Amino acid sequence: MPLYGYAGKILRLDLTRRTATAIETEKYLRWGGGHGMGSALFWDFCRDKTITDGRHPANVCCIMTSPLNGTIVPSAGGRCEVVGVGVGMYPISWFTRSGFGGRFSTMLKYAGWDGIVIEGKADKPVWVDIRNEQVSFRDASGLWGKDTWTTQHEIWEQTGIQSETKHPWQDLRELGLLTKGHRSGKDQGQTTQKSAILAIGRTGENQTAHASLIHDAGNGAGQGGFGAVWGSKNLKAISIMGTGSIRVADSKALIRARMVTKEKYVSSWERPDLRSWTRLGGFPKPIIQVPPPTQDRRPQSCQGCINGCRTRYNVGYGNESACQETAWYGPFARKVAKTPAENIEINLKAADLVQRYGFNSFLFQTGLHWLEHLYEEGVLGPERKISSKLPWKEIGTLGFAEKLVHALSTRTDIGADMADGWVQAAVKWGREKDLHTGAMQFSYWGWPEHGYDPRAELEWGYGSIMGDRDTNTHCFNQIFTTVSAAFAFAMPIRIEAEEIVNLHARKLSPYAKGRPEVLDFSDPNMYSEAVAQLVRWQQHYCRFYKQSALFCDLKWPDFYNTNTPNMEGATASHDAGEQVFWNAVTGDRLTFEDGIELGRRIWNMDNAIWVLQGRHRDMVHFAPYVYETKYEKGELFPFYMWPCRDEKGKWSYTDLMGRSLDKGKFEDWKTIFYRLEGWNTKTGWPKRSTLEKMDMGFVADALKVAGRLGDEET
Amino acid sequence: MTPPSRELSLKLLGSVPYCDRLPAGRLLPPVGIIPGDMRSLSELHLLLAPDDRSLPGVNFNTLVDWVERVIGDRELADALRETVENTTSYVDGCLKVYELVGLRLTQAREVAGQEVLT
Repeated sequence: MPLYGYAGKILRLDLTRRTATAIETEKYLRWGGGHGMGSALFWDFCRDKTITDGRHPANVCCIMTSPLNGTIVPSAGGRCEVVGVGVGMYPISWFTRSGFGGRFSTMLKYAGWDGIVIEGKADKPVWVDIRNEQVSFRDASGLWGKDTWTTQHEIWEQTGIQSETKHPWQDLRELGLLTKGHRSGKDQGQTTQKSAILAIGRTGENQTAHASLIHDAGNGAGQGGFGAVWGSKNLKAISIMGTGSIRVADSKALIRARMVTKEKYVSSWERPDLRSWTRLGGFPKPIIQVPPPTQDRRPQSCQGCINGCRTRYNVGYGNESACQETAWYGPFARKVAKTPAENIEINLKAADLVQRYGFNSFLFQTGLHWLEHLYEEGVLGPERKISSKLPWKEIGTLGFAEKLVHALSTRTDIGADMADGWVQAAVKWGREKDLHTGAMQFSYWGWPEHGYDPRAELEWGYGSIMGDRDTNTHCFNQIFTTVSAAFAFAMPIRIEAEEIVNLHARKLSPYAKGRPEVLDFSDPNMYSEAVAQLVRWQQHYCRFYKQSALFCDLKWPDFYNTNTPNMEGATASHDAGEQVFWNAVTGDRLTFEDGIELGRRIWNMDNAIWVLQGRHRDMVHFAPYVYETKYEKGELFPFYMWPCRDEKGKWSYTDLMGRSLDKGKFEDWKTIFYRLEGWNTKTGWPKRSTLEKMDMGFVADALKVAGRLGDEET
Repeated sequence: MTPPSRELSLKLLGSVPYCDRLPAGRLLPPVGIIPGDMRSLSELHLLLAPDDRSLPGVNFNTLVDWVERVIGDRELADALRETVENTTSYVDGCLKVYELVGLRLTQAREVAGQEVLT
């Protein structure tokens, strides 16, 4: 029986012994793919699940694909999931996740692998050369100290890849690919592809909390500090060249669903509906995420994606950087830039800088403001309490950005104190008060506030703190951006508040189907059972559909679409829903609700690992400023619009700024959440009854042995 | 607006102390609202420059007060106050403030003898 959608094997790399072995994917099918399989593999292969620092030699890092990778499923073909114990979180680093796009996951599958399990530690720097079934450990001493782009270019050179466009075709025999591992007979012995490489830069080599994994120019796995995990294992890069393909169970069904998607979502370049509200189509919104192609720039996308949210520029810098990395230096570049063009140039070159170092610029989102605050308050700087010789007066210049990123990447200057985490540095410097005043806005688990404040957008904040990191899941938050932008432009409201919550509620099966009140973030409803059900749905949906099936976070779920007569989005729909694509590729007969249930199982596996690491409900709280200060009314943006009910039950878009969270009421909300999840409400630990219903008795056994199984409650 | 004095021009082109910064932000989907304080009019002008990916975030009332109290340009503050009270939308307000601040910076640069940037 062929495994449709899967390559069939998972590669197990033991860096200590330098061995590469195969694990049958079939054994892990019940976990779907991506994160689910990664969690299960971590459970099986990590011998010490009490570790709380990802740089520990026992840590196991899994790089996982999905059955949908390498297929034409819209906005799902090119994502890749990374799991393992992270680095730099606070108070301890959880088993966590990250993800990145591009073509790495598809190439891995074309080489015949559904994922990579990385164990142990090499005695000296290595990179791993994967060419279909051939796997070799190569000396990376010549690459150590080099940035991520140089590393990739040198690996292409070493493997005979001609990366310039003047060499469009290459002979597979010359690349060592016409061997018994060759998996396709349809390529005429030629390829246009170059290997897909995932690498660390100096930030990762020095095992600092800010370290990312980087693939191609601008695909990065930032949160989790997995670059430091690789650095601790002396792993510089993994290069993959695959020539196979992926079997799809029902190609007609797949193409049919893709065509339905096209009919519903593709926008016309000639006559775009600039006021439409939708998600999958990408382009037409009050403000647009994806700039249209011009003479100066071209869209660039992950493999198989219909959107192209990244860009290549004719100026030659900023290529493939699209998200936070293009914005981290913006507030500071404005201090020195004299024109908008110079401002953009500094921003894009600062993006290149962090990509080359393999530096997670997300930490700068609120973190650099905190450092600036310390400097301006006279605490940080030359001859000051927190000694720093960096030229802080030059903040905003590209030169300062380079010096700062270098220091933090090489553990020099303040980088020495910050290498284990930013909140850890605050504690070391005696600056805990900054977490009370909000001068340091690191809201959850040592990660900075994302830009969707937990005091306003509840599902984002609650989901983050009940999980393991800044959630970074945009399931519902398009409501805020779309509605607030419409208000900002005074454009017509295409979907009124009551209608938009009903459109969502139709698809929130099983916990919140037909319950629009789950989206009511008004003061009277913000600690309710309804909001707990919304957060549960989000966590379970994401654990399977986004992080295991690897549907892109920026495009799924799709709740509403003004291009369709009934305004219904694709999510869970019978003709273009997530489960339709999954089933077409794998041959499964999964219902949408089955996928949510699978996500619940994965979520429970993760929670069990966190509990083994030491989690207790008493640890689950936001940074103090979230309770002690109010979200400033209209100072960072004029309003935070969200559908809310008034005392008469009437829905309207309402501004959520100007409030804080009540710690006592949030504790009550946690109790509701734990009860709904079937976890002990006093500890947050899983109960045997809950786990056994999901056929996870083996997890309950391990928790019992560790003395961390939740008591049954009546 | 009448051209500013040389003294005011230099102030308009300079920076204010950190404690006098103007809170501001930028809505950049999907990143979110990014904080970014302002310490000069030229920073504010760059913040408000039209951009197809994002929207500037500023409180107009706080802004007008800041221009009057911290920058010390009552004429510009009055012009801004009248402008923001008569806009059709927040974005329209941003564009008009952008134009006014740009005009004032041009005036200040001419008076101060600096190169006028466009």
